[in-house]
Amino acid sequence: MLAIRKLSFRYPTANVAALDDVSFEAQRGEVLGLLGPNGAGKTTLIAHLTGLLPIQHGDITLDQQPLGAARARQPTRIAVAPQEYAFYPSLSVAENLACFAGAGSLSGHAKKSRIAECLAFAQLERYATVRADRLSGGLKRRLNLAIALLHRPELLLFDEPTVGVDPQSRAFLLEAIQQLAQDGCAVIYTSHYMEEVEAIADRVVILDQGRVLRQGVLSELLATGATQLQLAVEGDALERLQTLLSPFGDVAPQGAGVQLTLASRRDFAAVIAALDAAGLVVSHARFGHADLEQLFMSLTHHSLRD
Amino acid sequence: MLLALMKKELLALSRDIHGMGALFIMPMVFIIVMSMALKDVYTPATKSLAYAVVNQDQGKTATQLVERWAKEAGAAQPLPEKWQDEVRSGRLKYVLLVEAGFSKVMDDLGSQGEAKARLLTEPGLDNSVFETRRMRLLAIAAQLRVEGLLARLPRKLNVNASALTGDAPVAAERMAQGPRPTAVQQNVPAWLVFGMFFVVASIAGLFVEERACGALARLRSLGARPWQLIVSKICPYLAVNGVQAALMLAVGVWLMPWIGGEGLSLQGVHWGALLLMLLAISLAAVSLALAVACLVSTHAQAATLGPILNVLMAALGGVMVPLFVMPPVMQKIAAYSPMNWGLEGLLNVLLRSGDVASVLPQAGRLAGFAMLMLMIAFGLFRRRV
Repeated sequence: MLAIRKLSFRYPTANVAALDDVSFEAQRGEVLGLLGPNGAGKTTLIAHLTGLLPIQHGDITLDQQPLGAARARQPTRIAVAPQEYAFYPSLSVAENLACFAGAGSLSGHAKKSRIAECLAFAQLERYATVRADRLSGGLKRRLNLAIALLHRPELLLFDEPTVGVDPQSRAFLLEAIQQLAQDGCAVIYTSHYMEEVEAIADRVVILDQGRVLRQGVLSELLATGATQLQLAVEGDALERLQTLLSPFGDVAPQGAGVQLTLASRRDFAAVIAALDAAGLVVSHARFGHADLEQLFMSLTHHSLRD
Repeated sequence: MLLALMKKELLALSRDIHGMGALFIMPMVFIIVMSMALKDVYTPATKSLAYAVVNQDQGKTATQLVERWAKEAGAAQPLPEKWQDEVRSGRLKYVLLVEAGFSKVMDDLGSQGEAKARLLTEPGLDNSVFETRRMRLLAIAAQLRVEGLLARLPRKLNVNASALTGDAPVAAERMAQGPRPTAVQQNVPAWLVFGMFFVVASIAGLFVEERACGALARLRSLGARPWQLIVSKICPYLAVNGVQAALMLAVGVWLMPWIGGEGLSLQGVHWGALLLMLLAISLAAVSLALAVACLVSTHAQAATLGPILNVLMAALGGVMVPLFVMPPVMQKIAAYSPMNWGLEGLLNVLLRSGDVASVLPQAGRLAGFAMLMLMIAFGLFRRRV
């Protein structure tokens, strides 16, 4: 549905590009996790998709149509639920929905019924007459979501949609977003909470310093880390452990134990046998599926960002 | 789309109690307070000034002077024991001091020298009132002297001295309504213009808020164009300015007389000219507000820049200090203030029965100013949102 090809962008006063040769696609019915540390270029990318920044290099298409033309014909095909509470605090929930519904040219009965549907979807009916600035953090996030859904968008962008909400609201929002994808929307989801992305994303794009570092199906990306074995043994045997494991691959100290990158997944059984033969008792072992946070941190090199 | 956006503006404004107060209550209070407080400055009530008499001369001419003064200025207050302190503190506006020997000097036609009748006034007495009182004292003294002279001339001149006390064949009157307004005539249009320009704080405040929270970006992403967003702010505030105008004029016409002040008369007002002026002022005010709103980045900037601009324009433009009391240099500077264009146009309509043609210069300048501000606002808006 959405295709971004070789997109580059540099702000007028910046020395380096905010986006550099970025390419990826988002499909209907799937959640695409867009990950990146601060300054990676996520906000710039979202600003392109919502028409707030012009395309300098590369192109963005929506169902093979240039984004500009598609937006000119129907700007509401893409909706964004931004990180901020992008609504009017002094207006009530219903008044906010009416404002953004009208701004997208909904009117009359269609407007009324769509507002009712969105209130129901976000479970905000009880709060329709409450001023937005008097809502809790979770309810504000739900209002952000409801506004984004008003015009039945085909592509939904969620920018850190669960920041500052309680676990119940977070679970509700994640379920709602998955439901939207199942209903046929294309969803792009950015978050710093890796476990959230891991829980709902079908595919992942990892951005850093304006470039795509890695992208692909989440399970495949995580499988690439499946040759890493984390081990710790009882007693003061760290040096012995390192010596023993070095024939099986690269060994690096990690906390009280080591991290062994196996040359082959099939060596796992041999490692355990070698430990047993050496009389070492395993106190901690972790092998198989790497998690997204490990992958993300290894790709973005742990360094602090602005 | 526009209707939804306009409704949002009005709803947000209606929930902003401080903004509503600044737009509706503040100018109303200013009109009432300033009109009542400055009533005597615009139309000094010389007859009601509290005064006392110190008559140290028991002669006939001195008595006549005191009597004639009382006839013009009203009855004198009883003389306080420490009358000098009373005058210095302003509780007595002045004392008419007739020194011993006044009658003798008056009767002696050849006499010159030190004054024998003095007006001793409080320090803050208005200059024009001071001069008026001084001239009246001179006039009465001159009249008494002429009467004395005629009384001593041979009867064959056949001049009746009492005729001199009658009305002289001179008069002073204003051409219809003159250029110098009363307190209400000055303060209603002045503070109305000031209040209309105060939309800058409300517009800028909401604009900063919706830009900071991302609501404006969200509206843009829904397809709202910059001109639609700007027009959606102009129209509601034109209506707000209209309500302000109706309210302030109503205060002048009905409320002021009811609380003891002078009333504003709209009889003979050219309504077309009045509406044209109000529209021009409103366009200028809203456009300036939009330019400021697009220029500032934070609430703090919005809350300070707008009011500072307003107060400066008001101070220079004749709102706080009427143009007719300014020296020529300041009057020239005032001519560059949009508030002055608005105020002069309104005074033209309300005071001089001006028609549409007579307010075209002021309305044209305001419209030009509005166009310039809108262009700036539009340019900034496209860059910053």
